[in-house]
Amino acid sequence: MSHEPIIEVRDLHHAYTHAGVVEPVLRGLNLEVRRGEFVVIMGPSGCGKTTLLNVLGLMVRPTRARTVRLAGRETLGLPDAARTRLRRDLLGFVFQRFNLLPTVDVRANVALPLRLARTTVDGQVDGLLTRVGLMEYARKKPGQLSTGQQQRAALARALVTRPALLLADEPTGNLDSANATAVLDLLGEFHRRWGQTVVMITHNEHLTVSADRVLHMQDGRFLD
Amino acid sequence: MLDLAWANLTHHKLRTALCALAVGIGIMLMLVSRGLATGSIAEVDQRMQSVDAELVILPAQDNIIFTSGAPFRAGHERYLRAAADADGPLAADVIPVFFGQVRMGGQQQRLFGVDPRQMAAFLGARRVRAGRLFGGGDYPSAGVSPPPQPPPDRGGSPGTLPQPLPGREEGYKGGLELVIDERLQRVGDYHLGDPVQIMGQTFHIVGVVEAGVAGRVFAPLATLREIVVAGEPHASMYFVKLRPGLDPVKAADTLAAGLGGDVRVELKSDYGRLLRESFASVNLYMSASSGVALVACFLFILLTMYTNVIQRTREIGILKALGVGRLGLVRLAVSEALLISLAGVAIGIGLAVAAKWGLASVRPLLTVDISTGPILAAVAVGVIGGTCSALYPGYRAARLDPALALSHE
Repeated sequence: MSHEPIIEVRDLHHAYTHAGVVEPVLRGLNLEVRRGEFVVIMGPSGCGKTTLLNVLGLMVRPTRARTVRLAGRETLGLPDAARTRLRRDLLGFVFQRFNLLPTVDVRANVALPLRLARTTVDGQVDGLLTRVGLMEYARKKPGQLSTGQQQRAALARALVTRPALLLADEPTGNLDSANATAVLDLLGEFHRRWGQTVVMITHNEHLTVSADRVLHMQDGRFLD
Repeated sequence: MLDLAWANLTHHKLRTALCALAVGIGIMLMLVSRGLATGSIAEVDQRMQSVDAELVILPAQDNIIFTSGAPFRAGHERYLRAAADADGPLAADVIPVFFGQVRMGGQQQRLFGVDPRQMAAFLGARRVRAGRLFGGGDYPSAGVSPPPQPPPDRGGSPGTLPQPLPGREEGYKGGLELVIDERLQRVGDYHLGDPVQIMGQTFHIVGVVEAGVAGRVFAPLATLREIVVAGEPHASMYFVKLRPGLDPVKAADTLAAGLGGDVRVELKSDYGRLLRESFASVNLYMSASSGVALVACFLFILLTMYTNVIQRTREIGILKALGVGRLGLVRLAVSEALLISLAGVAIGIGLAVAAKWGLASVRPLLTVDISTGPILAAVAVGVIGGTCSALYPGYRAARLDPALALSHE
């Protein structure tokens, strides 16, 4: 683990507006995550965990913040195209609902980030599929897989470009305990092997064992 | 992106097939209507070009396609024959044509009333396939046909000699005879000696000539004149064969000046252009109709693509999360629409060829020209239409908020 921060967030505010009513979600949140760190964020529903992950994933522009730096780069003023590039080159996502493309097979799903990055696909996809135990399902569509298999495919897709920062939003939320453990083991293994930074949201206390740090959120702020 | 677009399309097979079929029908309409127009014009022009003459004399006001009646009087022909320069008469020959109408081969045909002595100008190198050229009456043979023979006796009335009008015991000096081209003969399954009713008179087919001659049905000029204008030397148009060495353009100007404003003198080589001009409004109507059909087809694609964007909001969110930019999403939508359009173009070409065959069996005398040019135009229409119809849905996809899209149920 390096001391160099990959995430620096200062005074992050975000609010949603519904029918003219402003609902603050993040209230002056600060966060610093070092390269190679495995951080778990916990907190009750509606406390702003997913919004924070969306801000870190450059999918939501915060209402106000002093700084949101990723890998040393200030993201607040970046135009959409630059945010898209940064998302593609720096980040990997694992979602609670897997979010695999239903129209293409598992191999194409996993290869997609490489193709978007215009990188040769070669053996990386098959290597990852083998490691996550899905090689024999490579030609299947996501709808033909079990939920555990789908999440393992989603994990392979998130990791195939070896992103510096992996953002996982309740990756085990839809899985039974056996599959949840399997996915978490894989996540921990890749984190250790490639030294990726992982920020994971979960409700499950048992899944914090791999974490270097556990942060608790409430009402749009960290408690610690 | 193309394989992703392909995967999206094959995931919704029925919708994709319906979309492509809609485009195909539009393309087919476009190809067939244009093909009918250009094919018919080209075919008529080609036939007119076969006449051994350089100039065409037409009524100034008439639409060339619907020229009818016989507005030219004897004075016009006299002038055309007499017009001369220092080296002599401009016209080596003046070929009057008297148009009539006859229903043969399942459709209305323009009947060419021609002087039997001038049939050579219409035949050129083409041959008489069966029977003979006009032989009745007091005209000598044109010298290109076999010796005049009576029509073969096929039993009954066919093959009998022309019947005179009541009270005209001398009969028609030109004879009640028809010469047809072999295409019409094949289509109508006509035989030598077959009777054909024209304006209350029974004509008989006496000869079949090779296809490609100016008219599909010829009758003796004198007979038509007798029936229609009591034998007056009127004409519907003239072909003029110029004296060798004359500049056709200058000769046309000279003749036009002499004939006056109610007559136009055109180069025969311009006949195709004149046909196209006469056909312009019909062409415009057909183009507009097929254009509207195509627009409707591409609106169908637009609607389908738009529905796709709504239905695949979550997938669009996934793509955005993975780093597909706005342009990439527009490209994806355009790729899908292009694949549908190109499939539609292929279907349309297939349908057009099938329609051409179908028309050929129902209306064999119609010429539908589906050549490379219109096919390339159809591909261009497909590419442009497909691209345009995907732009708005693509724009909508590009504008989606990735986080909201991902939370879409």
